[in-house]
Amino acid sequence: MMGPDVSWYVILSAILFTTGALGVLLRRNPLIVLLSLEIMLNSANLALIGFARHLGDSAGQVFALAVMAVAASEVVVGLGLVVALNRSRVPLDVDRLSTLRG
Amino acid sequence: MIATAWICLLSPLAAAVLITLGGTRITRRQAGYLATLSVLVSFVAALITFFRLLDESTEERSHVSTLWTWLSAGDFQVGLSILVDPLSVFMMLVVSGVGFLIVAYSIGYMDRSDEERRYFAYMALFVFSMLLLVQSGDLLILLGGWGLVGLCSYLLIGYDQERPVAIAAAKKAFIMNAVGDATMALALFLLIQRLGTLEYGAVFAGIDGAGSDLVLTLIALGLLGGAVAKSAQIPLHTWLPDAMEGPTPVSALIHAATMVTAGVYMIVRLNPIFAAAPNVLDLAAGIGAITLLVAGLVALVQTDIKRVIAYSTMSQIGYMFLGAGLTTYPNAMFHLMTHAFFKALLFLAAGIVIHALVGEQDMRKMGGLGRLLPKTWVAMLVGALALAAIPPFSGFFSKDPLLASALDAGAYGALLWVVGLVGTFLTALYAFRMIFIVFGGEPSPFVREHLHRPGHTMPALWMAWTVGALAVLATFGGWIQFSPFWTPITHFLEPVAEPGIEATGVEDLITSVLAAGLAALGIGVAWWIYSARRAEVPRWAFGQQLLEHKFYFDELYDAVFYRPAVWFANAAMRFVEGPLISGSIREVSEGARLIGARLSDAQTGLLRTYALALGGGAALLTLVFLAARL
Repeated sequence: MMGPDVSWYVILSAILFTTGALGVLLRRNPLIVLLSLEIMLNSANLALIGFARHLGDSAGQVFALAVMAVAASEVVVGLGLVVALNRSRVPLDVDRLSTLRG
Repeated sequence: MIATAWICLLSPLAAAVLITLGGTRITRRQAGYLATLSVLVSFVAALITFFRLLDESTEERSHVSTLWTWLSAGDFQVGLSILVDPLSVFMMLVVSGVGFLIVAYSIGYMDRSDEERRYFAYMALFVFSMLLLVQSGDLLILLGGWGLVGLCSYLLIGYDQERPVAIAAAKKAFIMNAVGDATMALALFLLIQRLGTLEYGAVFAGIDGAGSDLVLTLIALGLLGGAVAKSAQIPLHTWLPDAMEGPTPVSALIHAATMVTAGVYMIVRLNPIFAAAPNVLDLAAGIGAITLLVAGLVALVQTDIKRVIAYSTMSQIGYMFLGAGLTTYPNAMFHLMTHAFFKALLFLAAGIVIHALVGEQDMRKMGGLGRLLPKTWVAMLVGALALAAIPPFSGFFSKDPLLASALDAGAYGALLWVVGLVGTFLTALYAFRMIFIVFGGEPSPFVREHLHRPGHTMPALWMAWTVGALAVLATFGGWIQFSPFWTPITHFLEPVAEPGIEATGVEDLITSVLAAGLAALGIGVAWWIYSARRAEVPRWAFGQQLLEHKFYFDELYDAVFYRPAVWFANAAMRFVEGPLISGSIREVSEGARLIGARLSDAQTGLLRTYALALGGGAALLTLVFLAARL
């Protein structure tokens, strides 16, 4: 069970990360931004697992599990914020949430 | 004996501390009694010290007592020490004796004025400072007392805090005195550098080897500067007439009887130093002669009763400087004593007049008070006769031998002798001008309207008995010494201050006859012009202008020091402070604001920008590190 070479995993991870990063930077809906963040995190997970397999070291996989737990709690907070924003009739547009402008 | 000297010194300090800390727990009148009692204790202690000193043989009459080392800097040490010798005991008696009478008078004079407690605390503090000055056994302690009396003078001139004139006068006195204090401090620095000590005995022993003539002259000049400022001699005299803004007993105690004579005491005390620089002594005598003449002339046109007496104080201290400068030290000290008596008497009697006229001091509004206040009139007359040196009043016994001694000092002495004789004429003229204007003739309309006759109340009695006591002293105080027949004071002071010149009997006789004749002539002229009104007051526009402007000293200092200083300050404000200092600060703050504004543009509030910055930054760093590794 050799499967594809580790470079393929890394390339896929890089593509996913770029997608996520572009989504964070370009999209204006906070929901999509959060989604893109998840993609970025998971691309990192993919890279971790890919290398773990390549090196035959399971520590990377454990690390990925920990990242998933953190991502889950992060999503809880993020979605909670989105719901709160919606409740207070604030438009769901990150560009209009610029009260911290200097 | 040392113990009584310490009691004499510390008793007024204790009273000052008690009155200050006691606050409202001590009633106003109790504060007055406490201060008076403390000075009385001082006087009794001084008397005991005096008699114990008399019991000793002449050579042994000098004791130093050190409480502890007050200041220690390497080899240079100053102990908190007092010196008990004939000169200091003499001054202790004068200061505490006259001080006691004047503080007692204040109980009546200051009755029911605001903040009496503060007044009496200051007065007690002053007596302590003055005693410290005369009892110190070390030049540094002397300077300490010197500064403290200046402080008390400042506090008491400005006692009436609500009158801007009084505050201005207090500041003037303090600043003029600070000039003298500074020159004195410079002289002490030189002494420390040359001799490494400021203790009287060591300084006097080593002064001849202290350096070249120039150094000795500089030391003596610095000390003379202090004496001139404190004793209100020309050219540092302008503060004294203004100091009359203080309460009248303050004028009597500080600005007539004690503090202003400290300069004379200092010259006599430090006579070995001055002996090493004889030119400075001649200068002191010359300053005294000029001052006595100028002050006597200015006193002729003053209209404020207290200012007339103030100028006469300057003039009499001029005589003392003349005497001390020509090294007839015991005569100068004797005149200091009789002057303390009759000048305190004049001030306190003037205080009664001012009280009776509800604070009016302008002589032009007075007149005819002789009939209304007969006892005050007698007191004032005694004071004026003593001031004019008419026999047998005290001034005659002290001033004439002082002048006669000048004949023994060569041509310079003879010149000063002539000046002094002219001064006696002026003295009698201005003193009796005051007497005739205030007490002579018919009561003026102002007097009829405002006279407030002192009753037989407690305050009035305190004022009356002290003035009476001083009148007795001013009459008989001079009889202690009648040179050349009977000279106990000269003998007493000789071990400390050996006179360098002495008048012969003939010189004494000539001087006395001439001085008394000129004084009588002065009284006669005053009577002719101001009482009998046979002649108009001579009017000579230029002279009158000159005298009324007090020889333009105030105007001169205004033009030489005040105006250039203000001009310089304004110029500095315009050309340095404005463009340079506040300009640079303004520019710096503007710059900071500008940079802040530019930087705040980066803070968009947009999440995406931040994320891009974060990501871009991380990517950039990665590239940098990679490039570095390759």
